[in-house]
Amino acid sequence: MHTLRTLHIVKNSVLLVLIFFGSLGALSAEPTADAGKTVFKNYCASCHAKNMKSALTGPPLANAEANWADYPREDLYAWIRNSQAMIASGHPRAVQIWNEYKPTVMTAFPNLTDEDIESTMLYIDGMAKGTYGAPAGGVVAENSAAGTQEASSNVLYYALFGLLMLLALILSRVINGLSKISAAKEGRVYQGKTLWESLTSRGMIMFTIFALIVLGGYTTVNKATDLGRQEGYAPEQPIKFSHETHAGLNKIECQYCHDGARRSKHAVIPAANTCMNCHTAIKYGSSYGTGELSKIYASVGYDPNTGKYIEDYDKMSNEDIEKIFAKWIGDQYVANNDDVTELDKVGEQLIKSEWKEIVSSLTSDVKESVAGPIEWVRIHNLPDHVYFNHSQHVSIGKVECQTCHGEVEGMAVVEQHSPLSMGWCINCHRQTEVQFADNDYYKSYAKYHEELESGDRDKVTVQDIGGLECQKCHY
Amino acid sequence: MSNKMQSNVWIGQKDLNQEPEFMESLDKEFHDEGSTSLLEKAPEMEGNRRDFLKMLGFGITAATVAAGCDIPVKKAIPYVIKPEQIIPGVATYYASTFVEGGDVAPILVKTREGRPIKIEGNETLSKNGGTTARAQASVLSLYNINRYKTPQIKDGDTLSSSDWKSVDAAVSSALSKARNIRFVTNTIVSPSSKKAIAALDAKYGNVKVVTYDSVSYAGALDANLADFGKRALPSYHFDKAKVIVSFDADFLGSYLPNGDVSADYIAGRDLSDANSPKMSRHFQVESHMSLTGSNADNRVLVKPSEMGSAIAYLASKVVGGSSSLKLNAKAKKGLDKVAAQLKAAGSQGLVLAASNNVAEQRLVNAINNAIGAYGSTVDMSDANLTKQGDESQLDAMITEMKSNLVDVVIFNQCNPLYDYSSAAELAAVLGKVKTKIGLAYASNETNAFCDIIAPVSHFLESWGDAQSTESKYYVQQPTISTIFDTRQMEDSVLAWAGTGESYKDFMKASWTEDVFAAQSKFVSAASFWDSALHDGGVMMGGGSSVSYAGGSIGSLMSGVSKPSSSELEVKFFETAHMANGQSADNPWLMEMPDPVARTSWGNYLAVPVSFDGVRTMLGMNNLKDGDLVDLTIGDIKYRVPVVQQFGMMPGTVALALGYGRSNSGATCDNVGVNVNPCLKKVSGRTQYFADIVSVSNKVGKEEHFSCVQYHHTYGVRGMDKKTGEVINADEAATVSVTYGVVDQGYQGSITDRSVIYNTNAADLKDSIAHLKEKRAEAEHLNQNTMYPFEEFTEDLYSQGHHWGMHVDLNSCTGCGACTVACMAENNVPVVGKREVSRHHEMTWLRIDRYYYGDVDNPNVVYQPMMCQHCDNAPCENVCPVNATNHSSEGLNQMTYNRCVGTRYCANNCPYKVRRFNWMDYTTADLFPANQPAMGLDTDVPFYADDLTRMVLNPDVTVRVRGVIEKCSFCVQRIQEGKLTAKTEGRRLEDSDVKTACAAACNTNAITFGDMNNKKGDLAAKLDSPLNFIALEEINVRSSVTYTMKVNNRDKSLDA
Repeated sequence: MHTLRTLHIVKNSVLLVLIFFGSLGALSAEPTADAGKTVFKNYCASCHAKNMKSALTGPPLANAEANWADYPREDLYAWIRNSQAMIASGHPRAVQIWNEYKPTVMTAFPNLTDEDIESTMLYIDGMAKGTYGAPAGGVVAENSAAGTQEASSNVLYYALFGLLMLLALILSRVINGLSKISAAKEGRVYQGKTLWESLTSRGMIMFTIFALIVLGGYTTVNKATDLGRQEGYAPEQPIKFSHETHAGLNKIECQYCHDGARRSKHAVIPAANTCMNCHTAIKYGSSYGTGELSKIYASVGYDPNTGKYIEDYDKMSNEDIEKIFAKWIGDQYVANNDDVTELDKVGEQLIKSEWKEIVSSLTSDVKESVAGPIEWVRIHNLPDHVYFNHSQHVSIGKVECQTCHGEVEGMAVVEQHSPLSMGWCINCHRQTEVQFADNDYYKSYAKYHEELESGDRDKVTVQDIGGLECQKCHY
Repeated sequence: MSNKMQSNVWIGQKDLNQEPEFMESLDKEFHDEGSTSLLEKAPEMEGNRRDFLKMLGFGITAATVAAGCDIPVKKAIPYVIKPEQIIPGVATYYASTFVEGGDVAPILVKTREGRPIKIEGNETLSKNGGTTARAQASVLSLYNINRYKTPQIKDGDTLSSSDWKSVDAAVSSALSKARNIRFVTNTIVSPSSKKAIAALDAKYGNVKVVTYDSVSYAGALDANLADFGKRALPSYHFDKAKVIVSFDADFLGSYLPNGDVSADYIAGRDLSDANSPKMSRHFQVESHMSLTGSNADNRVLVKPSEMGSAIAYLASKVVGGSSSLKLNAKAKKGLDKVAAQLKAAGSQGLVLAASNNVAEQRLVNAINNAIGAYGSTVDMSDANLTKQGDESQLDAMITEMKSNLVDVVIFNQCNPLYDYSSAAELAAVLGKVKTKIGLAYASNETNAFCDIIAPVSHFLESWGDAQSTESKYYVQQPTISTIFDTRQMEDSVLAWAGTGESYKDFMKASWTEDVFAAQSKFVSAASFWDSALHDGGVMMGGGSSVSYAGGSIGSLMSGVSKPSSSELEVKFFETAHMANGQSADNPWLMEMPDPVARTSWGNYLAVPVSFDGVRTMLGMNNLKDGDLVDLTIGDIKYRVPVVQQFGMMPGTVALALGYGRSNSGATCDNVGVNVNPCLKKVSGRTQYFADIVSVSNKVGKEEHFSCVQYHHTYGVRGMDKKTGEVINADEAATVSVTYGVVDQGYQGSITDRSVIYNTNAADLKDSIAHLKEKRAEAEHLNQNTMYPFEEFTEDLYSQGHHWGMHVDLNSCTGCGACTVACMAENNVPVVGKREVSRHHEMTWLRIDRYYYGDVDNPNVVYQPMMCQHCDNAPCENVCPVNATNHSSEGLNQMTYNRCVGTRYCANNCPYKVRRFNWMDYTTADLFPANQPAMGLDTDVPFYADDLTRMVLNPDVTVRVRGVIEKCSFCVQRIQEGKLTAKTEGRRLEDSDVKTACAAACNTNAITFGDMNNKKGDLAAKLDSPLNFIALEEINVRSSVTYTMKVNNRDKSLDA
């Protein structure tokens, strides 16, 4: 009789597990806030505030859904994928936003799927209401791409944990029952343990300590692994250089400035003379006027008033340099403000503040003069024991810059897009196909060529030619 | 015969004697003075429970702080205006010329982001594109922390910082007031520099240039002046010689040091067709084992004072006349046979001598003339101009100074107060000179005496030219702007001469005037200059032809120095790397072991060993390695450590020049002893031996005996098959062959283990057959395994690359250029004397020295030993963290950041090539520790200051304490070569990848390449029947192949 009951329980449990897995499968295609977070970070975060309530380059998104509620959902999708097209077609809501925010153009994202957008909407909603990331909202995932997978597997673990606990409970009841019966058979009076006794039993305490150590160790190791990683690192730079303006709006090729990427291990932060290729002509910035461009001129020793390079510039004192730029900033202030005819108080204030900015941006503890190189803050830092070569990836592997650096052309302030962790590198080496066919170097891999031809192999990944080996990067 | 080939190899007296201590040490995992024993010795390393708790607390706090801290902000600073030819991250090479102590070597300078970091050979202008060890190390002296950073003027007793304006004013005023100005210098090989100095004389009219060389060649120069009317040395063509006789001239090491000489010498020993070897026969007549002697086929041993007698004796046999001078009977017998072979060789003979006696050198000329060597193997037309010194000029200057005739003396980058035999006399009279000016690079004995220091730039910061022979012109160009406020010598001289010209323009004008005018290939001076600058120099035709007009033999014989009757003599010699101390303050050279004695950080008295007739090799006075003795030379007394040396003339001890410096920086001050004061002059010519010598018995033990010969030995001992007793393999072998007592042939010996194979050219056929047999046997052993190698690795190297190396032991002269190149390329730390003495040297590539043959007068084989990149590597499967593993290209990879320092791999390495960072040698550690334990006075080890760190190769990780490191086959160069091939979209060729050691080798002894590339350079070498693999029988599948050492010894001389 008891055996039968036990069997019944087991059967039920199996059924439960099956149902659970089934539901998981159904769930995975649905939009989730976590997926939305990834999309938001990749595409939206450079213009829209993460708190969804304040305006940045773009409007706050908290009420986006409500504002578009009067129109079909498809309109919202279309707007996000290509806002300019929609404005051109005269959609009333689109025109309304355009009038509010022009001339700022929203980048088009034709590659976003409906699910992506729905996920993002969920995330926006969650962030706006403060429900996203709260414990009630379910599992919190820290990492973007891997996070989604992790989250679903975590749910599985919790469910399994729950099931096992249930099983333990049932089994303890069974044992209890069996003990009672055997006690009854032997004529003893069975005395069950109280809850308190069970909780303070030796086994329970040992288990708790064990669990704490495992959890503590797990957390420590995870956190330690993250030490030194700076995904999302977006420091303030000495010059407010906007990739959005240069690479996004003006569509300047990445490698025009980062000319090391195709031929060196370093992509190279361009020398100031590269900036001067254009900025001898464009002397007044669209966003900051004279504020940022003057820093370049002050660094290289270019007199924007005369359009000539200054001789013996590195020997000039900061005071002498100040005179040149005070004149330039003042003149430009007058020239670019229609209602000002001569230098007024505001203009003088502007000169003072911009010069102060120039000095603070171009000098440091070890460099007193504003003349000389610009000290940029390095964003992508690899540890010293890692060898990475841009040209291998850009010229040979033909990897797009955006694959690792994200949509830099949409970043007003550059941030580190990828974790730059070893796992991340390795993962890409596992998946990426080698440009095998069009480079004679790879002819030495004769066997792979044969296999490709005979159809035994459909591709050769970096891993296949030794891309996971230690001394490909560490030496 | 085959037995003899197999036997007879030993590493030193310790294994021959089977010294218990040494035998015991072989069983140990690591040298006994590990970190644990250190705790007892170094109080600073002591610890107790409280310290432990302190450390624990500190550790936890540090970890917490580190975890809590923000990541430090790193800056990236681009150029303001980027030079077109510099791409950050890509090396730029400039052709230039290395000039030091008679070596004029065309080089390429590798620069990264404007920093010179490595010297490479110039393949266009040198024979094999190699360099010497000293040229390799010269890049480090650019970052010498002791170099003068500003001009200095003496203020009271000490030099204090000044500026160029004051220095120029002070110098000009001193010069204009002076009656006599002396410009003291070592040989200047630059024609333009000489012109600049002439300009100084033109202005003041009383400048006399006093040229001397730190080791004198004046005897030979004067002999050639007498016989040819040309005060120069001949150019030698060793490649054309069949019989080479060298009297004490260490031409593969320190005598006229140059890489092309070694290249020529090896070219004359052609074994490319093993069936018909075309090898020169090289006789070395000497008293101590020199690098050249160790490479010779036969050595004729004479006492240092007998050298003249030996030359006279050979001359009498070859040219005629008679010599009545005393000479030991064995040498006479040997020289009889040498004479016969020399005469037979005729114009294919070559005789040279290091003697500093005019008559002896003229006898050598007479011999060369008699056999017809001039115009064939010895060339006086295109004469060698790298030595022009004359010490009698210095003596004359001292006399002038004594009579108060000299007002200003300028020392041009020379150091007579150290390397001149009458240094004390010079120092005493220098006080009478009003102004002493030093054109100096870094502080040394002489510069410390000067009133004004005009700091010169390093040659990598300077313009310059050099003429090594009459037809060879080289150009120097700066590869970095001056790091400090220095000025190159010529610019200072021109400034003082008041020409107002920069030396660069001056030199260009001089080239247009002289060199351009003398050639016809280029029409415009500008394109000629550009081409010379790009290539690093130009080779002009010819030279000026001269003919021999020697004197009568009889009168020359009377000028030969008489042998001494003293029982004990001491020979002073230059080592290949240290010479007479010109670069003694270079830590790479200090740490590089002397190839022969394998000692580093100091000079050690080489004492002869002799066989006691029973079982043991005894050192003179029963002295053992590392014993301290009192050495008395004349009235000068030294306390020096001893090293036992095979192949010494009995009754002779030897001590190296170039050590025992003072006022020259922590690297070399008081390291070793200075023997220059013991040098005596005979007829005004410095002699490099002394005969009034006594050596005491042992008076103590050297505290840090840094000889590396017994470090990292392997395969030494063996079991006697008959008795089952563990005996020293090599002793038995030696005894059986030479003295016929003990049987041979036991497992596990250095000879039975295939570490070295050697044979004589006459026995080559048998030996090749024997080698084949042995290799087949090894292969058979390797097949009988539970895990047949082939089965597991069938597909492993079937495509892509399989890197391998071939080392030709017949081409290796042991010069050590590869070891320094390896240190430079791979950021290998310098560890210092104390650490070396504790077996902690970090060199990835060592050159093992083995003796073989006659114990009294053995031959030597040098075996460069680095990680063998075994395809079945025993180190890999013992690593608990998989920090060392195998790549698909056959590389044994070492991953430092994964290594936890168990050292299991080092213990399991059969070749002992893995190195452990016992200390924080590079200060790369997060928390600096343990410097005091390195035995340094300061807490700053080598590489700790930012200036020295500029030499680091940015492509190679700097290792921290606690990890293992080893040869990587220069994986950074492999990756770079692959990238080049990929960029150009073509297959990789062997020439795309050259390891640092292979690139530095003057004799192409090392070939690196892809074993899968059947058309490559490496594949061609892998066909030789002389090839063997070290320890092939243990089935580790090494990727490095060696060749059997073949000598051309004339065995009839041994009888």
